[in-house]
Amino acid sequence: MKSIIKFAIVLMVTGLLASCEGYLDVNVDPNNPTAVTPDLVLPVGQYYTAAYHSTDRGLSHLGNMMMVNWSQSDGFSWYTDEFKYNVTSSFYSGVFNNTFANTLKQYQILYNLEDEKYVNYKAIAMIMKSFHYQLLVDCYGDVPYTEALGRSKEATPAYDDAQAIYEDLIVQINAAIDLIKNAPALAEVPGSDDAMFGGNMTNWIRFANTLKVRILTRQSDMSGRDSYITSELAAIASEGSGYITTDVGINPGYIPLNTGKQNPMWNSLGKDEGGTVTMSNNATCATDHILDFLSSTNDPRIDRLYEKPATGHLGVPQGLLDYDTPVADQYMPDKVSNIGPGILKSADMDAIIFTLAEHYFNLSELRQKTFITTGPSAQDLYESGITASFLYLGLDEEDAEDYYTQSKSLVGWSPSSNKLEAIITQKWIAVNGITAEQSWFDYSRTGYPSGVPIPLNYNATTDRPVRLFYPAGEYSSNGANVPTQPNAFTAKIFWAN
Amino acid sequence: MKKLFLFFVLFVLAGASTLWAQTKVITGTVTSATEGEGAIPGVSVFVKGTTIATSTDVNGRYQLTVPEDAATLVFSFIGMKQKEESIAGRSVVNCVMESDVVGLSEVVVTALGIKREKREITYQTQKVDNAELAAAQPTRAASALAGKVAGLQINVQDNSVNPTTQIILRGLRSISSDNQALVVIDGVIASLGAFDDLNPNDIADLSILKGATAAALYGSNAANGAIVVTTKKGQAGDKITVGINSSYTAEKVAYMPDFQTEYGTGWEGAYDAVENTNWGPRFDGTLRQIGPTWPDGTYQAVPYAPVKDNLLAFFNTGHNFNNTIYLSGSHETSKFYVSVGDQRASGIVPDDTYQRNTVRVNASKKVGNVELSLNSSFFKDEQDVVGSTIGDQDRPLYWFLLNTSANIPLARYSDWRNDLYATPDGYYNAYYQNPYWAVGTNRNNQKSNRLNGNVQMSWDPLNWLNVTARIGTNTYWSSGKNWRASQTYDPYLQPSAGAVSSFVTDNESQSSEIIEDLLVTGTFEFGDFSLKSILGASNYNYVYRYSSIRADNLSIPGFYDISNGTGTPTVSADASQEVNFGFFGDFTLGYRNFLYLNFSGRNDWTSTLAKGNNNYFYPGFGISFVLTDAIDALKNNNLLSYAKLTASNSTVYNDLGAYAINERYSKHGAFPYGEVNGFVLSSTTVDANIKKEKLNTTEFGANLGLFQSRIMIDASYFLTTTTDLITYTTPSVSSGSTSFLTNIGSLKGSGWEVSLGGSIIKAKDFSWDASLNYSTMTTIVEEIYEGLDEVAVGAWAQYGVYAIVDMEYPQLKANTYVRDPQGRIVIDPSTGFPRQNAALESMGRTTPKHIFGLNTSLKAFGFTVATTIDYRTGHVFYAQGQDAMEFVGRSMASVSANRQDFVIPNSVIETSPGVYVENTNIPVQNGRQSYWTDTYNDVKENYVVDATALKIRELSVSYTLPSALIKSTPLQKVSVGFIARNLYTLLPGENSFSDPEFNNSNSNTIGVGGYFQMPPTRSFGVNLNIEF
Repeated sequence: MKSIIKFAIVLMVTGLLASCEGYLDVNVDPNNPTAVTPDLVLPVGQYYTAAYHSTDRGLSHLGNMMMVNWSQSDGFSWYTDEFKYNVTSSFYSGVFNNTFANTLKQYQILYNLEDEKYVNYKAIAMIMKSFHYQLLVDCYGDVPYTEALGRSKEATPAYDDAQAIYEDLIVQINAAIDLIKNAPALAEVPGSDDAMFGGNMTNWIRFANTLKVRILTRQSDMSGRDSYITSELAAIASEGSGYITTDVGINPGYIPLNTGKQNPMWNSLGKDEGGTVTMSNNATCATDHILDFLSSTNDPRIDRLYEKPATGHLGVPQGLLDYDTPVADQYMPDKVSNIGPGILKSADMDAIIFTLAEHYFNLSELRQKTFITTGPSAQDLYESGITASFLYLGLDEEDAEDYYTQSKSLVGWSPSSNKLEAIITQKWIAVNGITAEQSWFDYSRTGYPSGVPIPLNYNATTDRPVRLFYPAGEYSSNGANVPTQPNAFTAKIFWAN
Repeated sequence: MKKLFLFFVLFVLAGASTLWAQTKVITGTVTSATEGEGAIPGVSVFVKGTTIATSTDVNGRYQLTVPEDAATLVFSFIGMKQKEESIAGRSVVNCVMESDVVGLSEVVVTALGIKREKREITYQTQKVDNAELAAAQPTRAASALAGKVAGLQINVQDNSVNPTTQIILRGLRSISSDNQALVVIDGVIASLGAFDDLNPNDIADLSILKGATAAALYGSNAANGAIVVTTKKGQAGDKITVGINSSYTAEKVAYMPDFQTEYGTGWEGAYDAVENTNWGPRFDGTLRQIGPTWPDGTYQAVPYAPVKDNLLAFFNTGHNFNNTIYLSGSHETSKFYVSVGDQRASGIVPDDTYQRNTVRVNASKKVGNVELSLNSSFFKDEQDVVGSTIGDQDRPLYWFLLNTSANIPLARYSDWRNDLYATPDGYYNAYYQNPYWAVGTNRNNQKSNRLNGNVQMSWDPLNWLNVTARIGTNTYWSSGKNWRASQTYDPYLQPSAGAVSSFVTDNESQSSEIIEDLLVTGTFEFGDFSLKSILGASNYNYVYRYSSIRADNLSIPGFYDISNGTGTPTVSADASQEVNFGFFGDFTLGYRNFLYLNFSGRNDWTSTLAKGNNNYFYPGFGISFVLTDAIDALKNNNLLSYAKLTASNSTVYNDLGAYAINERYSKHGAFPYGEVNGFVLSSTTVDANIKKEKLNTTEFGANLGLFQSRIMIDASYFLTTTTDLITYTTPSVSSGSTSFLTNIGSLKGSGWEVSLGGSIIKAKDFSWDASLNYSTMTTIVEEIYEGLDEVAVGAWAQYGVYAIVDMEYPQLKANTYVRDPQGRIVIDPSTGFPRQNAALESMGRTTPKHIFGLNTSLKAFGFTVATTIDYRTGHVFYAQGQDAMEFVGRSMASVSANRQDFVIPNSVIETSPGVYVENTNIPVQNGRQSYWTDTYNDVKENYVVDATALKIRELSVSYTLPSALIKSTPLQKVSVGFIARNLYTLLPGENSFSDPEFNNSNSNTIGVGGYFQMPPTRSFGVNLNIEF
């Protein structure tokens, strides 16, 4: 017995003492790698770009609420904050938080790549970062930029001036175009991992140019920017690749009826992975205002933008409290115009982040303001914008022509005395349900479209917010840098002043 | 299991082989030297150097069969000086025992199972024995510790059939690391899970090592103190005792939230037959339609009047049957204890059931100078409870109850399959389903098993030397199935209902801890000095595996198997491993039995930190000084029977979790799409130089015995400084990360504990013992890092738990009203609405500042009445349930202004900056409803509630039959009892929702709870204990 014990003890001591270096080498996570190649990073970035833009309470949803495209059916209490214009530090804070924490984080990994082999990935990252930073500036003004995305190296990034960021976005986009054009032969070209252009780098340059036009159009009402805008437009022209020719969408290969794999907008605002109509779909419907506008302009897009109930189109005023007067249950989900089949096409549709129609309207505006003096006329571009919208929504060119040849102000070019108002109003309809935040920015900048009401009952203000509040997290985690919360109704973004 | 039994049988056989040796019988009586006390029952009598032992009966008599060559009997009894009597050929050996300075010679089990006399311990410990622990027959040992130990906070976090408990000693001392006490079972590190899985009847006693110093020999596990559990080893005496312990308790809802009963189903003041909310007109008693109108025009109608306790009626009386059969005994050199336990419970929620079985085998055998022992338990359980992701919104069950209007006779709808108005299509509520349907269509079934045990060899090669080696394991494996049935609705009857999708999830997990300890103990005496030295080594290895697979949208209704899913199943697998080892030494130098100095040190190496930065030295020292033995003037003093002072200091470190030092990628949940896969970088960024967090603890203690130790006072003061806190701080999200793992700042914790206990009355047939314990502790965040003055521990958009510089931790924050310097609410004159502050404000700490516990035990004529009462105060909690009741219009607040526009009492208008004028005439808008649902409900300070609670935790009345009565029967003991748990709770008026102890998570996010837990319950029952 004793010898067994002695043996056991000796064995144990030996075991303990033999705890050499290798014994502790178990700190390698078997489930999670510490490095991955860029083709595994890019598609996730694009997935996020699509998801946070078009999903329930994404950026486009905010635009749809602010621009009175969407309202709320009876039986739901979902959009109280939107109707109250309750712009607080938690209101749509995902626009800031998700963009930085998820989307830009992924693109920054690509941006940080130093290997020449990955210049195409790096260029894509620069373009997509610019795309997102513009939207951030448009919503918040000053945001962290030069010190942002450093993770452990800079936990409290400084805020940069909104206009300075805008200027650098153009610089970055130009640099990205240069990178693509001067890519070495060994540089990897993305393939199916690029959910936007499938690795077509020319399309990336076109998208970059298109994005520049958006950035410049936004500044086109500012004084003292004329020569800057003109020279940057000239640079686009001399670059020569041109612009996008289709709507720009993201589609990593969405799969219908598959958990987490459906188009994000369809999945949240249409039907879930079980094929069941979501509550958000039931809760969300047209406003009376947008339906009135569409029907008064004989716009066939009404049945594409909104689902027509058996009882005919019906919209709900934003902010309505009593849904049952004069008729009980008149605004139940089955009786109101929910989001339409032109917007919710299918579970595997592309997630559109930039519409062709918007681009035409941007060019039309620049042409009308004579920043561009050659090429198609402002009217041609305007009508191309309307046509692009009709086509996207599943109507055809003839339908479009029938529509814009009407002798109606804000519809036909000639009958519209205020061309800018017509362009912006048509853009409002074209981006409705798709990239509706763009018309909210336009509204802050131009005051168009006119006559968009504010919600009933709640508001002491006479107009809608012009920006978002910085999220609460910035005040607790970056308090030394984040600016004092600006007035959400009066402190316009620099390009609207 | 079979192997364990085999092992046990071998032990028993080994013991039996010595049965035939020559023996003789010795009898005797043990009496007290103190006048009037007479015979002492329960004295243990054993042959010196053996385990041959018995104990005296109620008359102080004993009988013991001893080997022919036995020389000396040892008599020992707590509170008496141990005494030896030479047998010297006698067959009658009587003994007169003298009372001892109580407590100081008591043996305390300390870290690593090392036994020490209380006098030499340089830090504070507290012991809870089985009688105190199991008086009210708890199903979990942890819950029975509440109120019994100074400095210990037990949070029973829910009241499900399988509750979870949080164990915190001396408050919190870390922001991100675990603050829960270490659990040690029979000398080996185990886990809280293993503690919960013990049969409380198997526990002999618990020793609470309150501070890090006490536990320092455990290395990085020591920081939070330890609960050292000793299980029953086998009854002394050359006999076998067979016992049955049975209890039954009935569990009922103790109280429900305060609900308004003036308004019912409706919206914006209008009646609505299908609303979950209570914003309808005032109740008028008329018969009104509820639910849908059927195609034939018929509908259900009930009086538009409140249904008394309509939600309470949903809950059942829970039943709990607990049976333990045990076999205990010893013979000369062997001891054993075997028990089989069975618990079956049904909960207050219909269909919730729980069953568990425990088997314990403890056995030891001494062969020459080697003692071999085995302590082991096997556990299995199965719980079947309602799922927690019910309906299309994935809500917990209580949510559905709270969303049932005041005029709905809920209990009528239990037959949801057949009763038309209870079926999914016919149920009244258009937005939240029938809770009975929820119970029937959402289930969570979990089965788990645990093997916890150790094998130990203790060898005394020389009379001053002991070598102990031990291998222990805590192995757990479980599997579960969670499913939800799909539900679609008739679009005519339920146009607003959201269809519910089905899913099934299968999960499996395994974890295993293997612990090896080696201790070499030498005891030396030279002149006035003594030295106890321990050298040792310890090795710890932990592996964990988890996998789950979920399939959605099942094809065959009611068939819950992964194969039945459509689309791609969601799969996850996770594994981790952690190892560490350490060497340690502990030296206690004693001088004339009244002065002890202790030095200890341990050096650890861990796998979880970077090489070169992964070994740490943990020093500790302490002093114990027994005044009453040191100073002649104090000796033999009847007023101050004993007095001991202690001081100690130690440094320990908190480790990091496995793999945490590396920033890692994980596959994005939506990917792959075909051939395209996607990986996402962790949202946590990690400081490249991360290291362990350091805790330094200083403790001063005093232990006093007064009036011949009738009254005992233990007091201590402690101070803990945590530096280099390993913390998941919140960086700016614009850094591209939402969490930053780094070493930051420091916390300073301090507090007092006082226990006052004693025998108030001590007579022949009547005694009354009572103990009162009190503790107070405060943790202050000293610094975080420059530019950052708070860290979110667990935060929601408008409230959360934070660590904030210069404030008590953990701190609850919420969004608040703007108030003038007098505290009046500032309103917006254009709307009448209160103005809100932009930033969240601190509302108070969420751990109690003061904890009182009162235990009394009254014994008279065979009856014992024991009570435990505790009182906690000085903290707040966030009542999520109260918050949830606001929207549904069921809260008391929602009727406080008669549902009209009203002027907020005590409100002001800011006429110019800093100038406030009382508001007498500007009412809020939409006071009918939307003020409450959209404005009042938006200010979360309204739901921060005083967490003070006074609880009668336990009450037991037991009666033990006099031995004279059962003398002629084979029965040795018959005891019957009435038991009650959580008998009564007193809460402050502002807490009208639930038990502030309930909490959503077992982490440091303490103080947020509500509708994820069912209403609080109380239990009553009976207990029967018979021994043969």
